[in-house]
Amino acid sequence: MMLVLLQQVINGVSIGAIYSLLAVGYALVYSVYNFTNWAFDGFMAFGAFMGFAAIGSLAMPFWLAMIFSMILTAILSILSEKLAYAPLRVRQAPRLFMMISAMGVNLAVVNTLNKTFSGVMRRFPIPDEWITTYDFGEISIGRMDILAAIIAFVCLALLWWFLFRTRWGLGVRVSSIDIDTAALMGVSNNKVAFIIFFATGVLSSVAGVFFGIKYAVYPLMGGAVTIKAMIASIVGGLGSLPGAVLGSLLLGVLETMVSGYVSSAYRDVFAFALLIILLLFFPNGLMGREKGEKL
Amino acid sequence: MKPANKLRKTVIGLVTAAAVAAGLGILVKIMGAGYFQNILILVGITLIATLGVAVLTGYTGLFTIGHAGFMAVGGYMAALLAKEAQVPFFYAVLGGGVFAGLTSFIIGYPAFRSRLRGDYFAIATLGFAEAIRLILNNVRQIGSITLGGAYGYMDLPTLDGSIWSWLPKGGWGPVIVVMAFALVIFFLTHAFVVSQWGKTCIAVGQDEVAAQMMGVNLMTTKMMALFISALYAGLAGGLMAFYYGYLTPGFFMITRSSDLLAGVVFGGMQSVIGPTITSAVLVAVPEGLRTFAEYRLIVYGLFFVVMMVFRPQGLMGYYRMDFSILGRLWRRREPAKAGGR
Repeated sequence: MMLVLLQQVINGVSIGAIYSLLAVGYALVYSVYNFTNWAFDGFMAFGAFMGFAAIGSLAMPFWLAMIFSMILTAILSILSEKLAYAPLRVRQAPRLFMMISAMGVNLAVVNTLNKTFSGVMRRFPIPDEWITTYDFGEISIGRMDILAAIIAFVCLALLWWFLFRTRWGLGVRVSSIDIDTAALMGVSNNKVAFIIFFATGVLSSVAGVFFGIKYAVYPLMGGAVTIKAMIASIVGGLGSLPGAVLGSLLLGVLETMVSGYVSSAYRDVFAFALLIILLLFFPNGLMGREKGEKL
Repeated sequence: MKPANKLRKTVIGLVTAAAVAAGLGILVKIMGAGYFQNILILVGITLIATLGVAVLTGYTGLFTIGHAGFMAVGGYMAALLAKEAQVPFFYAVLGGGVFAGLTSFIIGYPAFRSRLRGDYFAIATLGFAEAIRLILNNVRQIGSITLGGAYGYMDLPTLDGSIWSWLPKGGWGPVIVVMAFALVIFFLTHAFVVSQWGKTCIAVGQDEVAAQMMGVNLMTTKMMALFISALYAGLAGGLMAFYYGYLTPGFFMITRSSDLLAGVVFGGMQSVIGPTITSAVLVAVPEGLRTFAEYRLIVYGLFFVVMMVFRPQGLMGYYRMDFSILGRLWRRREPAKAGGR
């Protein structure tokens, strides 16, 4: 009984690690620009497809394919910022417009993938011998699950190092407090935007590749995951990076618990119920800053 | 615009509308009625739901991408009422709409209470829609009622002119019913928007803090806007149930919510006539051109961005409903005058 529980927790952490990549991306964009980048859904699928194509068509090894996918997704992310958000950001448009613009980027990316690659589900082309499990007594853990969790935490650690131990990271943190004052102090807004959208592009590509390995690669793959990553980032407190990681791990564990003990069909319903209940009792999320709408 | 000038434009606009209607009539004769009846019904249904999104997103500034969920709730409720409880068509649709409006409180209250509007609320609507769809996908049976899960809720009574005996039998009956609904909703929405209640919604949409200082209760205003828009979506869902004669959870995917949002964003964020026109176009064009339908969502997406960057107020901007808009289409190049539109 305890062993089953432990197994579920471990599976939950491995899913939660993938969510946390996306949730941190949401938190990062939100902390500086105060809007939710709805386009991660598309970026994630794009990253997975690029990894898929790099291995399938260009015969790259896995690590090279990952870097290939990261770079292309980061380029797409920065491009979307330049074309869709920067003009709005510059004229200080209402957040509603930013969200609609992001929604537009998402619709365009997902449906372009859908047209070019068709909607069928594909297996991510990794060598068969990689798909093994390690057994610890009665607990068994999939090798790719471990790899996903490790790479996710390495990415998060790198991001943390970057934000808290470098000058550029300081610029991002300062901008998250007040972007206009930061600009007055000589922090280039464009550079901050570049960094943020580069980082979130890379994170969503990693999430896409590992989600593709765990389940399948298809254009609409991002839909359900990104909703849950958003929920996780709200649960942790919008705009809070440690909150996003905490929320993701909680949500991942809750999900595997629900699918293990209740019903896998209603897994996502529980995720949503968690959001509603949490909003009732912790309106700012678990680790969110205590503040209302920014003026 | 001077009143006399406006009157002239209105007359010209009405004539234009009549000419368009006559042209459509001729097209119907040429291309066959059945095809147009289907398009008109779909336009009417989409229009009702789109106006709901217009009230919520356009006027009150609350971004929603989950109105398909309210359509599903309204549709299934109306279908249940009509099929299992033999409630007459009209009351079944109304009941579905009101029920959808009431369920909106489930997401409205916690989301509005937390004071952060945009993102929380949008995700809550999205999550709500997905949760509803998942539940409907998995519930096959409630007691003696067969909902059918993913296969769909089958054998519903259909809209075939037998609802009211005086309606024409056959093809045009449902069109008249749906269009009557759409017209009533259209004028109700217009009346709402120019009323005191509508003005508080606009105030909240423009600046919450300023509105609150003027004595607007944010919670009730937002709840009201959400209730109205969910009610409309529910009515649209009910009409859909009786038009198709069956319902499946697949009708209520995220793409449907995107379509509704597209109608409002393209038509004008603070306009009733704008979303009306664009939602008609957005339904009719993909129905007419199947090749366009496949690329529709890519085009919508790019258009969302282009609109927000270059013309965030939408094609119709802040125009009020009146026919002088159509009249102005014929405007000759007049020498520019200072002041006034």
